Amino acid sequence: MTLTVSGLRVVRAGRTILHSTSLSMSPGDRMGLVGSSGSGKSTVGHALIDDLRGQGHSVSHVPQSPDEALDPLRSMAFHWREAERALGGVDVDRAALFSALGIDGGDMGKRPWGWSRGMQQRFVIAMALIGTPDLIVLDEPTSALDPVVAAASMDLLERHLQGRDTAMMLITHDLGLAARRVSQLMVMAEGRVVERGATEDILARPQSVAARALTAHKSWAMVPC
Amino acid sequence: MLELTKVSVKRGKTPTLRDVSLRLPAGQTLAVVGESGAGKSTLIATILGLLKPTSGTVAWCGAAVRACRPALVMQEPRAAFNPALSLRRSVMEPLRRGPAEGRLERLCAGLDLSAEILDRRPGEVSIGQAQRVGILRALIAAPPLVLFDEPLSALDAVTQKQTARLISDLQREEGFAALIVTHDLGYAVAHGDEIAVLKAGRIEEIASPRAFALAPQSDYGRQLRDAAIALGSLEAAA
Amino acid sequence: MIAALAGLLLRAVVVLFGTALLTFALLWNSPGDPAQAIAMARFDALLTDDVIDQVRVEAGLDRTFWVAFLDWLGPLLRLDFGHSSVTGRPVWPDLSNAMGYTFPLALAALVIGIGVSLPLAYLATRRPGGWLDRASVAVATLGTAIPAYWLGLLLILIFAVHLAWLPAMGARTPAHGILPAVTLGLGVAASLTRIIRSGILEARARPFLPALRRRGVGSAAIGRDHVAPHAAVPVLTVLGLELAFLLEGLVLVEAIFGRPGLGSFLVTAIMARDFPHVQAVVVLTALIFVTVNLVIDVAYRILDPRIGGRDA
Repeated sequence: MTLTVSGLRVVRAGRTILHSTSLSMSPGDRMGLVGSSGSGKSTVGHALIDDLRGQGHSVSHVPQSPDEALDPLRSMAFHWREAERALGGVDVDRAALFSALGIDGGDMGKRPWGWSRGMQQRFVIAMALIGTPDLIVLDEPTSALDPVVAAASMDLLERHLQGRDTAMMLITHDLGLAARRVSQLMVMAEGRVVERGATEDILARPQSVAARALTAHKSWAMVPC
Repeated sequence: MLELTKVSVKRGKTPTLRDVSLRLPAGQTLAVVGESGAGKSTLIATILGLLKPTSGTVAWCGAAVRACRPALVMQEPRAAFNPALSLRRSVMEPLRRGPAEGRLERLCAGLDLSAEILDRRPGEVSIGQAQRVGILRALIAAPPLVLFDEPLSALDAVTQKQTARLISDLQREEGFAALIVTHDLGYAVAHGDEIAVLKAGRIEEIASPRAFALAPQSDYGRQLRDAAIALGSLEAAA
Repeated sequence: MIAALAGLLLRAVVVLFGTALLTFALLWNSPGDPAQAIAMARFDALLTDDVIDQVRVEAGLDRTFWVAFLDWLGPLLRLDFGHSSVTGRPVWPDLSNAMGYTFPLALAALVIGIGVSLPLAYLATRRPGGWLDRASVAVATLGTAIPAYWLGLLLILIFAVHLAWLPAMGARTPAHGILPAVTLGLGVAASLTRIIRSGILEARARPFLPALRRRGVGSAAIGRDHVAPHAAVPVLTVLGLELAFLLEGLVLVEAIFGRPGLGSFLVTAIMARDFPHVQAVVVLTALIFVTVNLVIDVAYRILDPRIGGRDA
């Protein structure tokens, strides 16, 4: 089932913060939404989720940091039950999800802060995978984490999604990260999509000013392997 | 030269730094990388004299570090300023008298800041601008040693690289020694003269960026390098 | 958890012992001759030195401090409060009689306080900054600023004097308790409203709430399972302090409304230098305090084990 939104537009306090945007994704697609801070990436993410849900698709969301996803006063088991209930009694193989994300050793009776931050983030990703959603939106999923932990989390998620229909959208300011993880890119600047295409095309021949800036500052340095 | 010799710090029962020895010559950049909780913030607090080492010594050219009036650039640029004051006043605060003739203008030019921005308050500028003002405030009194605590992690990828370049250019002009604490190995490799890997309060290895990128000596160093490549912070040459 | 509980209990015992020692020392060293004061209270006349000396021996005032302290503490551990120096009667029956007046009043005040503040704060925070919110904040601020004796007199003037709906003085019928309970309860409600209101507002600003909503959790469930526990933490903190204000207010309110109870029991005892009576009240209030704070500390740790934990 193709996910399509058209004419997505957000106006806040009389100001257009997102100009009319359309996009479509096929099952299993890996899409990157890149742009500098304030370019409107997260706005697209939220508007996209609302629109697709309105169409009856299942869309889940992973925020930047586990602090924005988990209540420190509630146990992991509580969060899990709550998420299951919110989705209305879907059949979930928790053990499989947990082992796929490498958190099967976690004590569900503990509260979030009883887990390491990397495990918390993977738990949030696992919650987002309950019921195999049509799309999972990751909003800067690595920037609040330790690099070693962040890389491991992304690898585990990617492996889990392999061969499944769940599409993934990665929202990030970091083209270097997107380049390693997605096949298609949308470049945002000042509330507009200024460029879109296959990742390697944009990396090789950026057209817009924003895309050129992002490509020029993609990574810090080349290292010999 | 900043010199730490076998410094250990205990907070409560668990040591947060164990036998840390570091040398940072004037005008050089030492990048300290490591996971959160590795003791990076403790290291900065210890160098600044805010924490007393339980053993070992910390010195700047043989004397107490405090005497050289080191400066600190913090992670959250907006939170580092008094929200009620104009940025100009916050910048001028560490000075007893005004800055040397033309110094403010020269630094502003170097940091790509217009004079008009200094008359605004912290909430009225972008995070990137606020962080450049943070660097301006750190440098205004011409300190010989500047400590950077995750100076770029609040910024977006493009701004990070631009700001890092400005810091390096200023360092070449001003000649201060820079100790940069970061979790981003890419930044450390691109801008450090030396890289120190900190894990669980211990220095795992110290190496030049080139040597480190080629062949990290410690397990954790290798993990860090692979993660930096997996996250696109460093690019592996084909 | 067990170690933490043991620590809390130990702290409670130390506080209790310290209070007992301190009050005893203060009374022991209070200015004037206690034997004379007791003799005055007992016989209501000026007396010769040998009568006073006899009273001194009877009241045990001729012993050294530590002997007297231990003589008092020993029976106290068996919940024996001793005998009044003035009347010679056991302390406990009189004390429990006074508590019989005071505790129901305190409880009623607490019930009124919570019963008013909880719904008010909830309504106020439905639309923060709305007129109901601003009005509730204004009323609560005013209520905290008004002292109990002023509010009590005002209520007497309105409901007992002008309207003549309720009795003002004494404690013969349950109706006599209404005005004192309302006086105290409104004071409690005023400060609790502000705390609960800001607790709810702070809890609603928690960073994880938008993600819960996006996960599809209903707003009723969010309020019940996430906002309420977070709002409860600061409220619990204040509840312990609230009890202190309540006890303080009780003494005043009992005096204004001419009610028997712990307040008048204490005042009479202090005037007569009736050490066993004074000490009994102080130890009793300290015990209540320590117990309530112990319960609050435990409740805290159940709600948020990071509080007071070293491994958090």
